[in-house]
Amino acid sequence: MVTMPLDESTERRFVERLQKHDERAFNELVEAYSPRVYRLVARMLGRREDAEDMAQEVFVQIFKGIGQFRGDSKLGTWIYRVAINLCKNRSKYLSRRQDDKQDALDAVADRQPLHQAKGVTSGQINRPDHMVEGMQIEAIMRKCIAELDPDFREALILRDVENLSYEEIIDITGVAEGTVKSRIHRARALLKQRVALALGEPLP
Amino acid sequence: MTDMPSSADASKRGTDPDIDPSEDARLRNLLRGALDAAPEESPDVLRGVQRKLRERSGGKFYADGWSTTRYAPISTFFVTSLMMLSFMVFIYFVIHPLSGSPEMVKSVPTPVQVVPSR
Repeated sequence: MVTMPLDESTERRFVERLQKHDERAFNELVEAYSPRVYRLVARMLGRREDAEDMAQEVFVQIFKGIGQFRGDSKLGTWIYRVAINLCKNRSKYLSRRQDDKQDALDAVADRQPLHQAKGVTSGQINRPDHMVEGMQIEAIMRKCIAELDPDFREALILRDVENLSYEEIIDITGVAEGTVKSRIHRARALLKQRVALALGEPLP
Repeated sequence: MTDMPSSADASKRGTDPDIDPSEDARLRNLLRGALDAAPEESPDVLRGVQRKLRERSGGKFYADGWSTTRYAPISTFFVTSLMMLSFMVFIYFVIHPLSGSPEMVKSVPTPVQVVPSR
């Protein structure tokens, strides 16, 4: 079983096995990378029900396209690139189809004041629980992130959630450093603006 | 490399220069909180990938039960080889008594006949 990240020569040998379509090597690759890929696509799509299918699709595309991997970047970076590109395509497709349904949590995070929420008594409203408030803000955040432009969302997630370096983000997205920084900066500003608007007040 | 572009850089790129870095840090924390809480456990992706590859390749890949296992089935290999070995030993002990022992044949040399030349 491989453990990632691999050193250069081990990775080269591993990629050679993958390029020969060695099924056991591919199993090891999926086992090693699927948790990270799943988390990334779940964050990018914002829809858990699609994330599993998309994560599987990422590895199917990797299996089909591994012959084109030339080793110019690290295997992990290349996998991230495939995942990000597929997520962006799916997001664009979904936004075209206007199929962006909200999940149950998002409904709670709607702009309606708490006292209008079903099943919440006035006693609870007067003494709002911090946990509920936190969950509400998180749900609003998720909704606002999902509404961001896919390029902005990608930059923001890779930098602020996945904690990748600028070099890695440049490798994955294939855009210039200035563009990456600008996207991150603008995404944060947009997100902050939208969250504040949804909350009706500045960020806590 | 800085995390946050300077105000001068930001204004050059047409971004909002008025963002407070401490507010950005708060936003990042909220962002992590919101997205880290989202996917708790990753599902079993491998099975789905194997199934999709088998279907789309028309059975060329992951067609047999051996290649779809996560680890090499060492115990299966071991048990199979033990069974084969016992079967061969059994066959040997069944066949060996039936085969009997070789009979000694006396070989008498034929006398040489000398034919006179004409």
